[in-house]
Amino acid sequence: MQPNTQLEKTNQKVETTPAEPLVQQKDRWAFVHEVEKLPGGENILDCLQCGLCAGTCPTRFAMDYSPIQIIKMIHLGMREEVLSSSTIWVCSSCYSCYSRCPRAVDITTLMMSLRNLAMKEKIPVKKEIKPKFHKTFYEIVRKYGRLHEPELLMKILKKSDLPNLYNNVKFGWSLLRKGRLKLRPTKIGNHAELLAILEKTAKEEAQ
Amino acid sequence: MKYAFYPGCAVHHSSKEYGESCRAISKALDVELAEIPDWSCCGAIDAVYSYRPLSSIALVARDLALVEKMGMDVVTLCSACYYTLNRTNKLLKENSELKNKVDAALSSAGLSYSGNVRVRHFLEALITDVGLQRIKERVKTPLTALNVASYYGCFLVRPQYLTSFDDPEHPKSLDDLAEALGASKVEYYGKIRCCGASLQITDEKVMLEMSKKILLSAKDAGANCIITACPLCHFNLDAKQKAIESKFDVKIDLPILHFTQLVGLAFAIPPKDLGLDKNFVVPNKILLQYARSVA
Amino acid sequence: MLEEPRIGVFICHCGGNISDTIDVARVKEIIGSLGHVKLAETFEYMCSNPGQEMIKKAIDEHKLNRVVVASCSPRMHLDTFRQAVKSAGLNSYLLDMINIREHCSWVHDDKEKATSKAIALIRGAVERAKFLEPLTPKSLKVTESVLVIGGGIAGIYSALELADKGYQVYLVERNPSIGGHMAQLSKTFPTFDCSACILTPKMVSVSQHPNIKIFTNAEPVAVKGSPGNYQVDIRIRPRYVNLEKCTACGECARKCPVKKPSKFEENLGQEKAIYIPFKQAIPNCYVIDKDYCLFLTRGICRICERFCKGEAIDFTQQEQVVSLDVGAIIACTGYSLIDSKLFGQYNYGYHPDIVTNLQFERLMLQGLHKPSNGEVPKKIAFILCVGSRSTATNACEYCCKIGCMNAIKHALLLDKSVPGAEPWIFYTDIRAHGKGYEEFYAKAREHHTTFIRGRVAEVVPKGNSLVVKAEDTVLGKQIEEPFDLVVLSPALVPNISTKELAEMLGIDLGPDSFFLEVHHKLRGVETKREGIFIAGCAQGPKDIRETTMESMATASKVATFLGRGKISVSPEVAFLVPDKCNLCGVCIEQCPTKAIKKGKKEVTIDPISCVGCGICVPVCPKEAIDLKHSTEAQLIAQIEGVSREGDTSPKIIAFIERMTAYGSADLGGQSRRSYTSQVRLVGVPSTGRLGIKHLLHAFASGADGVIFVEGDDSLFKEDQLRERIIQLKKDLGKFGIQSLRIQSITTTIPQFEKIMSLFDAFVERISKLGPIPREKREELEKYLKGEQIATQHAT
Ligand SMILES: Cc1cc2nc3c(=O)[nH]c(=O)nc-3n(C[C@H](O)[C@H](O)[C@H](O)COP(=O)(O)OP(=O)(O)OC[C@H]3O[C@@H](n4cnc5c(N)ncnc54)[C@H](O)[C@@H]3O)c2cc1C
Ligand code: SF4
Ligand code: SF4
Ligand code: SF4
Ligand code: SF4
Repeated sequence: MQPNTQLEKTNQKVETTPAEPLVQQKDRWAFVHEVEKLPGGENILDCLQCGLCAGTCPTRFAMDYSPIQIIKMIHLGMREEVLSSSTIWVCSSCYSCYSRCPRAVDITTLMMSLRNLAMKEKIPVKKEIKPKFHKTFYEIVRKYGRLHEPELLMKILKKSDLPNLYNNVKFGWSLLRKGRLKLRPTKIGNHAELLAILEKTAKEEAQ
Repeated sequence: MKYAFYPGCAVHHSSKEYGESCRAISKALDVELAEIPDWSCCGAIDAVYSYRPLSSIALVARDLALVEKMGMDVVTLCSACYYTLNRTNKLLKENSELKNKVDAALSSAGLSYSGNVRVRHFLEALITDVGLQRIKERVKTPLTALNVASYYGCFLVRPQYLTSFDDPEHPKSLDDLAEALGASKVEYYGKIRCCGASLQITDEKVMLEMSKKILLSAKDAGANCIITACPLCHFNLDAKQKAIESKFDVKIDLPILHFTQLVGLAFAIPPKDLGLDKNFVVPNKILLQYARSVA
Repeated sequence: MLEEPRIGVFICHCGGNISDTIDVARVKEIIGSLGHVKLAETFEYMCSNPGQEMIKKAIDEHKLNRVVVASCSPRMHLDTFRQAVKSAGLNSYLLDMINIREHCSWVHDDKEKATSKAIALIRGAVERAKFLEPLTPKSLKVTESVLVIGGGIAGIYSALELADKGYQVYLVERNPSIGGHMAQLSKTFPTFDCSACILTPKMVSVSQHPNIKIFTNAEPVAVKGSPGNYQVDIRIRPRYVNLEKCTACGECARKCPVKKPSKFEENLGQEKAIYIPFKQAIPNCYVIDKDYCLFLTRGICRICERFCKGEAIDFTQQEQVVSLDVGAIIACTGYSLIDSKLFGQYNYGYHPDIVTNLQFERLMLQGLHKPSNGEVPKKIAFILCVGSRSTATNACEYCCKIGCMNAIKHALLLDKSVPGAEPWIFYTDIRAHGKGYEEFYAKAREHHTTFIRGRVAEVVPKGNSLVVKAEDTVLGKQIEEPFDLVVLSPALVPNISTKELAEMLGIDLGPDSFFLEVHHKLRGVETKREGIFIAGCAQGPKDIRETTMESMATASKVATFLGRGKISVSPEVAFLVPDKCNLCGVCIEQCPTKAIKKGKKEVTIDPISCVGCGICVPVCPKEAIDLKHSTEAQLIAQIEGVSREGDTSPKIIAFIERMTAYGSADLGGQSRRSYTSQVRLVGVPSTGRLGIKHLLHAFASGADGVIFVEGDDSLFKEDQLRERIIQLKKDLGKFGIQSLRIQSITTTIPQFEKIMSLFDAFVERISKLGPIPREKREELEKYLKGEQIATQHAT
């Protein structure tokens, strides 16, 4: 007689490793509550996961996670994944998701807050020019009271990317010829006043 | 009519022609613009806000405090500034904790802001205060041969809690204006899409893709030109048009005018005074038509 | 006071439930020593037969003319004891019951404190009893006829059901024909019944039923009267065609030179200025649209008149108002679709091939075509949840309930009738919750309907097609798909003028703006006003099956209401104190049932409509209104009695609304939720009964804080309560009493926890404030005496 392999198989003790739980039960809602306190995060739990935001988003194609996925990830407490996503940096602040969201989730403002959080915590970013841009922009405004674009570009563009550098210089030249570029920065008159204000707020922000 | 005028960095530097044309038509319409003495940058949508939220609010609060002293509504030409200034007003009104912090910062510079400045876009002031009727009356060369695609972009119509002077899905202020100048309006897809202004420096590829859609849809719909109400949008659609053409290997060649330039043309203001020579895509056809009607 | 009160007080042990915690012997002793109390007794079970016998005997032997029973909740045994005193020959309203079980022994552990509280509560009841008056409920005959407002399927069904039971029914429809939305539909989910085929026979039955009278082109404009006896004015707009004479031959319309968009066809077709809404219309009679008719707008033409052989055209018709006497009213005014233009991203109104689902019904019946060019559309997008499930200000938070099933129905119909059709359904969640619905959904999938899970972002006309942009959330991918036709599923909203009708009828709207039922589950077709009922989509979105089931339930409720023939009306109503009212009219606004009317010379309160909430009493600046069985004298006596007794500090009086809030406190007792014994409960018809005077009496005679506990479903609405409290706080301020000494709360029955924790917290707060100083109390007392003198003087 043939051995009953079927039987043998079922008799074997099968050991399965359970899948990792999606969320650590411990701080299941901690991130949600953190986000709820951020500007733009107020209605985060009101999201009904309809996906309209992802459907309307003009930069969706360049994101690793769509806006609805980001919301879902927040609901699930996936803090690290959210803050290291490209999404929060690709968002162009167009407000089209907020404008059409049926539950008034202010994703746009939330994206700004998430960028802020990521910068505060120095989360590594896929494109390092992004946080550099914000930081440098702020520093230039602090320095002059106005933006000085050539300086901004010079500071944040990768010196190693020669073709890009060349393109930018060429483009700058054409602006210059049209009188639309100033090589020297404009500094506001009462710069001390501005510094005093920013000094104070910087202190607050550091806390 | 007199307003405090907040040019913003772009109008001050890279979009000079927008400011020039604005002043030219303001003069023609007896609108007085008093530039805020010593205004500072608004922080450009989220450029500063994302990094230093409180500083960015305080930065704008300073500008608003300066306006408050002038005792007038403030107008701006830039949709991004319009957004940023309005946002600051709203946050200060609704968030008392934030307001206290900002007040403390302002007072360290001997300033104070009570939150009473009304922030307006120059386009809105033009339409509501001056009125289309008066603009119409001032038209010398109706732009009858022009099919104008009005481009609204984002912050002129969104978010609705900051701006409500036009419909967010079917805005019409620019179209009405173009029609008042004698031009025909063009319905097209790109009207309220984002041009990617805030990605212009950090993510040019994405931005070019976004602006391309707007340009092509306007062209497909038969527009002779696009008008804009924001220097950043204008920059992407006009100054970056070449880059778009070469990146996607398409021919667009669509003149992009600041709406103030279009008004100026209809008022028969010399193109030079409107800074038209500073535009990238040379609005030859439009200028030709202009020359013809002046002659 | 009618006669010298002789009060008997009966204290129940409740088999230890009360006597284990309360020293009943001491209670008996102290209460027995109060003035006018001729007798105080305790007994093991007061509600038992021997207990009742004891009361009867005592009434007889001691010539008692007032009885106070201190026992369990009156919600349990009020009727028992009323019967008992009645059979002893005493008017049942001369009895008062006071709850020392749920509100005392069950919720306190300290015997000393519980006993002292029980004495205070009973003392309050004894003081009140001195002022009790005999009352008799009124009995009224009801008018055995029914008004049905709205001739949709809900109206048709309930009308037929009631007419079959023998009641006279008046069916009033705003449009020229009955039928409602169902008349416009093609086939119906989930069975594919042809809508007209199942509806029109019912319409005919209505028109032929001897017990039904139909008014079309008509709507109610005024409602007077009271439950069981309403008078309703119906305005009938002229049709300019004589109902009896018109044979619906259609000759007039063939000759009429004016064309206009057809409302029945949802503007996807045209009809003449003289038209019949649809072929099977009931009444089957033409009608002239006065906004389009040349004669009625410009005084020329009259061609129809010339060609009508039956001489049915009648331009002399005038608007008419008829008055109907009915015992009950059913409001079944249905729904309308939200305006899709509000959601600009879908471009409705900007392109002819973007239509609503109701328009699609008409397109199917006309032979499916694109409105733009008449071609047969192949690829069709159905966009769900347009304006539904949204918190945006212009949208609806609730689900439209029929959109999903309807789109699935359309997809399946397409599969049958248009070869090569390609239906795509863009959904948020598919809601297929009814008998046969899930199976219907499965069928659509089997028949190759494409389902995309993602709410559509926008519809953009592009060349010959309409591009639908959405995220397929399952794929995690943005899609932009071209279609020939786009069908929107707009939210269902209450029909036009539902709000005005609610005001006219004196019934409530829910937060969704549909008519509000009394109880979501248990009293689903009744409204807060007796004799007024609802059915169908006027109550909220629903499908046809649910509508007809509900209509029959409504008819049954109406029949029960009218079937009693008589309606017994509680005598506990507001009344005018003679010669005080100066016709200022402030009370009129406050009355939730519109029972107060102002005439030229006097204000009257309809004792039938009045529900005895007492909200009007304290608002009258002249003190010209009082309330039977909760008169000023009775209430103030009770307040003083409860507040004066005992020396615990602080003393808190909690006024508690007698239905829901009281029930909630009872449930707290049943659950043995113990709380501070400093709080003494005084039942009131509603906390709207209370004004500043009552608070001053409480504070003057010993209270240190006051709580208002109101039922969540009370006629005294939460915002009214809030306003009243704000006013009372201001008024208290004038007497130098801190506004913190008063607090209000609303509750549902199960939410007793929140009342109890408020009690505890409040006592803590008042303890911190400390008791009201003696001098202050004396000052208030003096003021109140002066006031009394003043008012006595005035009368
Ligand atoms: C596109 C579409 C398709 C549908 N398909 C289906 C389906 O396949 N299967 C299904 O089960 N359900 C379907 N439904 C739902 C169905 O239409 C409703 O369940 C049903 O019509 C509700 O009937 P009703 O009588 O409550 O309301 P309505 O049909 O709206 O009738 C109300 C009536 O009251 C009248 N009225 C309103 N106000 C007044 C007033 N003040 N005075 C006098 N008269 C007044 C109105 O003129 C109207 O005649 C569909 C709905 C839609 C929108
Ligand atoms: S549109 Fe709004 S509700 Fe819908 S998924 Fe996005 S955030 Fe959530
Ligand atoms: S605001 Fe950002 S996330 Fe929202 S649609 Fe625009 S780009 Fe996308
Ligand atoms: S009188 Fe009016 S309804 Fe009659 S045919 Fe003329 S336009 Fe038509
Ligand atoms: S029934 Fe379907 S279409 Fe209608 S709101 Fe509910 S989920 Fe959306």
